[in-house]
Amino acid sequence: MTAMTLHRPRLKARRLTDILSHGYIWFCLVLFVLPFVALLTQSLGERGGTSGIDNYADVFGSFGDNLLWSFKISGLALLVDLAVCLPAAYALVRYPVPGKRVIFSLLQLPLYVPGAVIGLSLLMTYTFVYPIEFMWGLVLAMSVGSFPLMLTPIVVALKDLPLVFEEAAECLGATKWQAYRKIVFPLIGPGVSAGLLLCFIIVFNEYLVTLFVAPPDLETAPLRVFNLVRTNGLAPSTAALAVTMQLISFVAVLAFFRLFGTRHFKGTYIL
Amino acid sequence: MATDSGSLTSSVRALAPELRRRQRADRFRTAMFLAPAALLAILFLYSPLAFIVHMSFTIGSSFLSPAGPQYTVDNYGLMLDQYLPNLLVTIQLATLAMLVDLVFGVPFAYLLVRKVRYRDVVRAVMVFPMFGALYVAFGLSFALLPGGLLDPVLRLLGIPNTALLFSLPAVVFAMSIFTFPFMVMNVGTALSNVDPTLEEAAACLGARPWQTATRVILPLTRAGIVAGALMVFGWSIGTFAEPLLLGSLNEQRSLAWTVYQNAVVENDYGIASAMGIVLLALAFVVTYFSLRYSRGALVE
Repeated sequence: MTAMTLHRPRLKARRLTDILSHGYIWFCLVLFVLPFVALLTQSLGERGGTSGIDNYADVFGSFGDNLLWSFKISGLALLVDLAVCLPAAYALVRYPVPGKRVIFSLLQLPLYVPGAVIGLSLLMTYTFVYPIEFMWGLVLAMSVGSFPLMLTPIVVALKDLPLVFEEAAECLGATKWQAYRKIVFPLIGPGVSAGLLLCFIIVFNEYLVTLFVAPPDLETAPLRVFNLVRTNGLAPSTAALAVTMQLISFVAVLAFFRLFGTRHFKGTYIL
Repeated sequence: MATDSGSLTSSVRALAPELRRRQRADRFRTAMFLAPAALLAILFLYSPLAFIVHMSFTIGSSFLSPAGPQYTVDNYGLMLDQYLPNLLVTIQLATLAMLVDLVFGVPFAYLLVRKVRYRDVVRAVMVFPMFGALYVAFGLSFALLPGGLLDPVLRLLGIPNTALLFSLPAVVFAMSIFTFPFMVMNVGTALSNVDPTLEEAAACLGARPWQTATRVILPLTRAGIVAGALMVFGWSIGTFAEPLLLGSLNEQRSLAWTVYQNAVVENDYGIASAMGIVLLALAFVVTYFSLRYSRGALVE
């Protein structure tokens, strides 16, 4: 009896800290989605005589071209990223490369160069050193800024994959290429998808490098958002476009979480 | 190794040329595999950066003149004379965002790692800031408008709307929301490497929660916390959309925006390049230390 009365206040204190800590987590989560929710309510609201449906009709009407460009540029940049990262990750993990750490760091560095500096340096280079066909300059700018995000998950996936599978395949008469295509690649698939997802999120929403590098007749959706905010102020139709972009990205994230789970982001900046 | 013939039996010696051939093939393959990545990084990152270093030592847009570029160090002098406030504002913003993330991010990471079971929900929600500073800033400026989402909260706290929209706190708020996941990632990784029984042991030995935090948890996760703080600082240095959409004229002087103004609007490539180099140097120094503190290099 006495023991119970002694324990009761302590239990209460524990419950209180539990409530407080979960409350804190949810408070932060609300702050994370606050900008998105603000955009959403604004785009659905009836400010300035246009209804929510009109705003979203705009997204697929006059903004349709921008969305299309965004998909095109991100798709091409992702292809370049894949072509560059798959062999590089394989070499870094499986072969004895001299100065491995230095090479890996040098390949990681693009992630830490501020977007404005990448944009400026590429603008200068495209203008004065090597002129590049209109769209490809932008595509390559996107891939150079995002490929470290692809490299990391693939490296992690390859390191987690024991060597025995490849060795077994080779013992059974497969060539190196066959072993890679039929054994290694399917097994590191989730890591590759994680890289694809991260790169897609970054490239699809990139506006800063695009602002510097994009040719005048090419406007991706995030750049359109930026330009409209600067010239047109806080318009609901712009908010609708921003909401659409975020929803597309979020659906991609959710689909990935559903298919592969979250552990493939090890080493990247999603916990 | 194959030349160390004294200890090799003859049958192994017979294998030596084959071994050497394989080594050579491996080396060739390594080079071929690394070539695309190296080419991309060199052609579209390192040589452009080298080019703007070169450019930062030329006068204005003399690169375009037929007489060839004229060289000078004035751009860096101008950087000190005229654009020092811009640099200072940038550093101030990044420092404030870093401090906010430290104060709110460390407890968040601790609770996330130790107490939360619905981590997937948290992860999913935490990607929203990652979609870009542009949307965060844009959304917040809507939320802070009179009649916006934050209006009732502000009224409850007795803060007039006009005090927050286009002000320093709004910019820092947006920046810290954008960089929050980086902080949580770094601190969370460090924390998940700390054995939770250490905290229980401290509690058993009579330590108060506060003592456990300052004497056990913080020292053990210091590397992760420092790395996270530096990383947030490094990312915040290049802030662009937040000051532009949420800041007053003072915050709008941030370096990245000034770079854009000088390069694209005024076509003064020399000074723009010099600013870019300063920005780059700052980000690199910070990132270097951040990567040094975050243990666990991926390839070893």
